[in-house]
Amino acid sequence: MSGVDLSVKVGSLELKNPILTASGTFGYALEYDDFFDVSELGGICTKGLSLLPRAGNKPDRIAETAAGMLNAIGLANVGVEAFCTEKLPRLRERKVTVIANIFATTIPDFVALAERVDREEGVAAVELNVSCPNVDKGGLEFGVDPAAAARVTEAVRKATRLPVWVKMSPEAGDLRGVGIACQEAGADALTAINTIRGLSIDVRTWRPRIANRTGGLSGPALKPIALRMVWELSRAVKIPVIGIGGIANAEDAVEFLLAGATAVQVGTASFADPLAAKKTLDGLAAYCAERGIAARDLIGKMVG
Amino acid sequence: MSEASTGAAAIEGSKRALHRVLLHRRDSIGSAYHVLTFESEKAIAVGAGQFAMVRSETWGAAPLLPRPMSLLTGGHRPSILIKVVGEGTRRMAVASSGEPFLLLAPLGKPWAKVPDGARPVLVAGGVGVAPLLYLARALSEEGSGAKALALYGGRTAADLPLERELAAVSEVRVATEDGSRGTKGRVTALLEAALDEARVHNQAIKVYTCGPHGMMAAVAAMCASRGAPCEVSLETPMGCGYGVCLGCPVPRKAGGYLYACTEGPCIDAAAIAWGGEDAGALAGHGALAPKAGGQGS
Repeated sequence: MSGVDLSVKVGSLELKNPILTASGTFGYALEYDDFFDVSELGGICTKGLSLLPRAGNKPDRIAETAAGMLNAIGLANVGVEAFCTEKLPRLRERKVTVIANIFATTIPDFVALAERVDREEGVAAVELNVSCPNVDKGGLEFGVDPAAAARVTEAVRKATRLPVWVKMSPEAGDLRGVGIACQEAGADALTAINTIRGLSIDVRTWRPRIANRTGGLSGPALKPIALRMVWELSRAVKIPVIGIGGIANAEDAVEFLLAGATAVQVGTASFADPLAAKKTLDGLAAYCAERGIAARDLIGKMVG
Repeated sequence: MSEASTGAAAIEGSKRALHRVLLHRRDSIGSAYHVLTFESEKAIAVGAGQFAMVRSETWGAAPLLPRPMSLLTGGHRPSILIKVVGEGTRRMAVASSGEPFLLLAPLGKPWAKVPDGARPVLVAGGVGVAPLLYLARALSEEGSGAKALALYGGRTAADLPLERELAAVSEVRVATEDGSRGTKGRVTALLEAALDEARVHNQAIKVYTCGPHGMMAAVAAMCASRGAPCEVSLETPMGCGYGVCLGCPVPRKAGGYLYACTEGPCIDAAAIAWGGEDAGALAGHGALAPKAGGQGS
């Protein structure tokens, strides 16, 4: 499969291939040492990092649904300081392309997070989580309102030399409006989409199956919606769109590239198979090799 | 179960890996329980109490997630005990020989070794017998120390899968809630008697338990009040089994949460906040199969 050109450019950032892993589904990537060399991937998005460590929500946090799952983890994470001092040096050693996903409830905190990771070697981009549905405040409200999304983006843009990606919420009434606002505010790329809120009830106990009541739906059940949104968004903006939502294999990844994504993120699939991202990459290489094309030749090439 | 010994003596287990295996045979135990024995090209070195994430390759996109299951055996013939409670276990219960499965194993912390001079007392509830049977076999194989005492409880006589196998490697006492087998009542009554006996004979013991949350909480409380060391095998929903989804938090006595998949499943009962405000969520309402195939799907 040598000779297949899988490289893509997400704005100024060159990735060796378009296969990334999604924030919250891949830990800090060090968990995969037993399984495969994650530096082979285009990149990894860290678990959402906050200024202080977060313990996360009460159990139960996850529930399986038809071809998908609900989660309300509550952004449990080690905190940006521990990430920078304990995780990042080991990722640097492994030459992993790291996208730092950051989460805050205020604009100054988003800025502080961006400045903190900006001081480190080995961070390729920051991804703003303005679309988490599972925290009391600061999650969704930035992501569903074009003006608020633009304010966060602009403030972070000014605070860092790193490329700024903004993770879109499918719950924005005007997804294209939010995307365009982020673009105007200086975003380098848009990641679409985060989970969409769902509910599942245990009929034996009449209780919601997760303690937070609602949780974010992910997995194959989400894919057609995500694909449609990536298609619409990529036609509305000039900056690259990174596709995410139910991608479990190379065929799924190809669909997102054809719909207009420049790169993709493998998420929930990694839970069922820790090698899912690696298999997606290998499958994409085979797909391109068979057709004698480069990965970038697929981007936005849906026919009709 | 002649392969039961394979790998049983392994300590700490080996590096976790994704194994593609074929279903070798499925043995039904009554209507609700099955033992699935797989054929693995590579021997899987398992520590007593470790588990696997199990998923059939035929499932496609649903059921989506693998099911956490304690390993009954390892080596080239890894096996699990399942109870049919939901879609995942229902599919497993009709799987035929030759069906391809993915086993992510070995996972989690194994049981801690028995302290010198202590008699192991295993307290099992229903399908929770799996990691304890593994332990009893490993101890029996080691052949050192006193024979394990196994206290086995179930709702009815039909809820005591693998009782005979357990009896082959330990001294078993049984309790059923309806009295259809053994002592009528709960397994905790058997434990209380065993703790009394141990005191009379000045015999140090170490309790290992796995079963429904309420049972383990009661066992943990009884051991704490009697000063007996107690280790539990946690039962929670799990998404990935290897520490990234953060879907298996258990309230820690010291505050915050620990994660059952990587810090457990086998852990000192004293580390857990059994009566914490969050504990209700652990009481078996989980949407996913709790490890060992207990009350979930």
